[in-house]
Amino acid sequence: MALLEAQAVTKIFGGLVAVGSVDLAVEERAIVSLIGPNGAGKTTFFNCLTGLYRPEEGDILFDGVSLVGLRPDQIIAQGMARTYQNIRLFGSMTAIENVLVGQHVRLRSTPLGAIFQSPGTRREEQRAEQQARELLAFVGLAGKGDMIARNLPYGDQRLLEVARALGSRPRLLLLDEPAAGMNPRETDAMMELIRRLRNELGITILLIEHDMKVVMSISDRVSVLDYGKKIAEGHPDEVRRDPRVIEAYLGAGVLAGHNA
Amino acid sequence: MRLRSVQRGLRIGAIAFAILTYLILIGLPTRLGSVATPVLALLTALIFWVALRGGKSKRALADQSPAPLALTGATAGLASGLLTAALIAGFARLLAAGVNVQPYLDKIVPLNMAALYGVMPGAVMAGELPGGGWLWQVGLLTLAGVVGALLVLLERSLRQRTWSTGGALRWLTIVLPFVLLAFVIWLGSPGVTLGGNNRGTLRLLAAMAAIGSALFALRAAQRGREQRILALLLLIGLAYLPFTLDQFQNSVMGIVFIFVMMGLGLNIVVGFAGLLDLGYVAFFAIGAYVYAFLSAPFASPAFSALLTSLGVPADAPLVSFWVAIPITMLAAGLGGVLLGIPVLRLRGDYLAIVTLGFGEIIRLFMLNMSDLTNGPRGLLNVAPPYLFGYNLGNPRDIFILALLGAGVIAFAAYRLDGSRLGRAWIAMREDEDVAQATGVNLVQTKLLAFAIGALFAGLAGQLYAARQTNIFPDNFTLFVSVDTLSLVIVGGMGSIPGVVLGALALKGLPEVLRGIDEYRIVTFAALLVIMMIVRPEGILPSTRRRRELHEEGGPASEPAITLEPALPTDYRTLDGGKL
Ligand SMILES: Nc1ncnc2c1ncn2[C@@H]1O[C@H](COP(=O)(O)OP(=O)(O)OP(=O)(O)O)[C@@H](O)[C@H]1O
Ligand SMILES: [Mg+2]
Repeated sequence: MALLEAQAVTKIFGGLVAVGSVDLAVEERAIVSLIGPNGAGKTTFFNCLTGLYRPEEGDILFDGVSLVGLRPDQIIAQGMARTYQNIRLFGSMTAIENVLVGQHVRLRSTPLGAIFQSPGTRREEQRAEQQARELLAFVGLAGKGDMIARNLPYGDQRLLEVARALGSRPRLLLLDEPAAGMNPRETDAMMELIRRLRNELGITILLIEHDMKVVMSISDRVSVLDYGKKIAEGHPDEVRRDPRVIEAYLGAGVLAGHNA
Repeated sequence: MRLRSVQRGLRIGAIAFAILTYLILIGLPTRLGSVATPVLALLTALIFWVALRGGKSKRALADQSPAPLALTGATAGLASGLLTAALIAGFARLLAAGVNVQPYLDKIVPLNMAALYGVMPGAVMAGELPGGGWLWQVGLLTLAGVVGALLVLLERSLRQRTWSTGGALRWLTIVLPFVLLAFVIWLGSPGVTLGGNNRGTLRLLAAMAAIGSALFALRAAQRGREQRILALLLLIGLAYLPFTLDQFQNSVMGIVFIFVMMGLGLNIVVGFAGLLDLGYVAFFAIGAYVYAFLSAPFASPAFSALLTSLGVPADAPLVSFWVAIPITMLAAGLGGVLLGIPVLRLRGDYLAIVTLGFGEIIRLFMLNMSDLTNGPRGLLNVAPPYLFGYNLGNPRDIFILALLGAGVIAFAAYRLDGSRLGRAWIAMREDEDVAQATGVNLVQTKLLAFAIGALFAGLAGQLYAARQTNIFPDNFTLFVSVDTLSLVIVGGMGSIPGVVLGALALKGLPEVLRGIDEYRIVTFAALLVIMMIVRPEGILPSTRRRRELHEEGGPASEPAITLEPALPTDYRTLDGGKL
């Protein structure tokens, strides 16, 4: 059984069908990409998965359990975390505090425990902080834990978003254009990081990405959205040659290897 | 270049003139007496200093070169001097002509003007003002402008040398509270009631300054041993303070610290969690009334009747002050949850309006439920705290209790700030949606903020009731909420020491300047406006808040991405859930 199974998910804004009856299955430990032109409904689909929007129709099964109707904080507790297309860190907090907030659902300390610094709370906080530092090092932000998130360079902010999501120890990680705005060197590093998330941590990845080089080289499977509909799905090479996909992207050069 | 300096000077002069006009209108000169003009000039010099520095950054300070700065300062001084002298002369003429301005400007009286000219009030009435009187005022204010410019230059040269900021200035900050405490002790011996006179007022002011400077000293001290030793010494000094102050001074300090207790609670709701609560007085009122019911059941007709019918004697306190503490706190906390539930979905302005209504509802409830609360006649004979038979209801002991209460609450707030819940509050304040998607349970987190804030206000309310012994619905108006919110903002939202400073500034200073009491609201407004311009993050902001309001250096330019080796600990098997 697939780890994530979206069945006929539909989200309508006013009259606009942003996501129309989209099916998508993501196998455990796969890297699946979701592509499509601007406004195709990719981010909206992510928002449905993570509970920010409630889909009008359809069901979302995560490890066999339906997520529809759960609150976002309940969904992340199930093991699905995400990053945002337009970076949304907690800007005034330090990098490490951001990751600690990410760990929120995995921590148990209570207000009373915090006030009296019960041994349990103290131990938990120490472990959480240690783990946060390890996660920062893992994404490549070693030594930057005490920097204010807002003051980090752009590329580092993207990495911090990943680290914050990792804080909740997800089984499935949704990445919304993680390499957007990055230079080629940073993009390569991000691809490498995504591979390591899967290979070393065993995290399943669902990825929205515009950079075709990234998509083609990293994905096990690719799904294509256009005007809220899924128009193609399959192995990257199949999708690349699919005439409907080429049409959707109009400029046929896009899929031939040049970047969009 | 020169023209710009003059223009800037005129602008700053006009601002100073506005502030001086305000101070004259609220009758400050009358209080100051013969030293009115020099003191006002000194104050103006400080205003000029702040205005002339221009901006808060070090760079703005370094940009100022001496000649244009002096020109700007002198222009500002001259402009404010001429305008102020004209204003004073105008008022003096009016008074000499026998025009009764009091219905309109209630503090413009001969005494006020006489203080400014340094003459007897009779001279003002007779129109016999010293011919050069205005020259004296203009001259002093121009001097203030030059002094302001010099202060900027002095500050700059101090800052350019590392030893002064790192060493001398730091040590000065650390020693200052002890100097002030010594001054307090030197000014008067224990038990001497100096209440209304100037020496007593000065003593109160010095005591408040000592507490305020202690907070700066703590921040200036190096973390670790130095800070711990300093904290210990300051605590000893603080513990001694109630025993050296007189009744009036202790009673002012008691109220200040009751407001510190409240401010610390509201700081959690507004400063940490970012929930704008304008009905905070409700929990203070609940704390006070519940304690009143418990300690003076006979005061409430309905409650005493109920107790009698249950066979419980209603002519004495039901429980002691100490046993009442958890009960009042729980009642207030429950109130916090009850307010929290309906406003869970509201944000910003809507939240402010609804909470404001809640505060008023509680007050109207106290006012109109006469059977229970005795309505406007209030609940009388609330019991003071007793310890081993000693009555702790006197100003000194109330101050000590308020200090202890504030200390306990500050400690709890400090621990919460760095906890899982504290992080969730800040995350929620910054971006509610993302916080939720990151795992923060908004319902729980908001209710905890309201409830914990309310618990603290309840404790403050109980102490307040025990201090007053008689409480009335009028003690719990909207203004209590406004005062508390103001002191949180002035001190620095989200900052625990800031709350103490805010309470000293907004609840303590008006007691020192009793005369401006009726102008309190205007004073708050003026202070808030000045604060927002000069120091938007508050007097003593939390480091986080400072980050939010000042971009300290832009993002570093070179993004260096290096991938680290695999996680040292096995990521999969880590279990934070074990506790
Ligand atoms: N909250 C909203 N209210 C109304 N319309 C919305 C909302 N969010 C998205 N839309 C619309 O839904 C459509 C899909 O938007 P979405 O952001 O999901 O596209 P996308 O595939 O992520 O595009 P991009 O590649 O530019 O990020 C767009 O037409 C957008 O204008
Ligand atoms: Mg998008």
